[in-house]
Amino acid sequence: MDDAHVFKALADPTRRHLLDRLFERDGRTLIELESGLEMTRFGVMKHLKVLEQAGLVVTRRRGREKLHYLNPVPIRLIHDRWIDKYTERRVSALVDLKHELEQTS
Amino acid sequence: MTSTTATELATQVYQVFIKATPEQIWDAIIKPEYTTKYFHGGRVETTGEAGTPMRMFGPDGQTWGDETIQESDPPRRLVVGWRSLYNDEMAAEERSRIAWEIEPRDDGTCLVTLVHDQLEHSPLTARSVSGEGWMGVLSGLKTLLETGRPMR
Repeated sequence: MDDAHVFKALADPTRRHLLDRLFERDGRTLIELESGLEMTRFGVMKHLKVLEQAGLVVTRRRGREKLHYLNPVPIRLIHDRWIDKYTERRVSALVDLKHELEQTS
Repeated sequence: MTSTTATELATQVYQVFIKATPEQIWDAIIKPEYTTKYFHGGRVETTGEAGTPMRMFGPDGQTWGDETIQESDPPRRLVVGWRSLYNDEMAAEERSRIAWEIEPRDDGTCLVTLVHDQLEHSPLTARSVSGEGWMGVLSGLKTLLETGRPMR
């Protein structure tokens, strides 16, 4: 469940669509997820497998059904690792600018 | 933001890999010196044994949670009820349930799974803990155990 797997999983529009569908309603079966997709069951399974390997989808059994759940934690970790870092620098650049301007005035 | 209803969030599953031993993760769940650093500042009070209380207090001493441990298999599994006592409207909803699962793997990490379920009749609680709620707690727990520092 490293960053590379997550970025790779998110790089595909079908996989992002599957995540959006789980966001709308979590805990779905393969049959529910493949409905409305122009794709074979095997194709959908392959995409779900990539999402599972990236940790973005977690499956749990309920009786005979296998339900797919959206796990948002890896996206949060990417946010913490990549987005926070760069916005922090921008904010601190603005703070520096403020100090500089206030000193010269 | 898509609107969601209670049944859609009745079971929520969160997972994260953490580079730590199962014992360290277990301690981080049941010991206040850890929870204050990643659980919104909450101070847990429990022995971690089944049938005994598990309480959570906010930084100002307000009671956030007052439950009894339903199942305990240290350091692998802990099941406890959930009622959000920090908010009057959510506190009035039915009790739901959380289960912590800790699975050690060969590479020195553990797969930590948190299942929050039985939320069918607690839509406010379900919405409140989904997304930022558990996601923030789990990423905070990972950061704390892997770096020794709380998240900013």
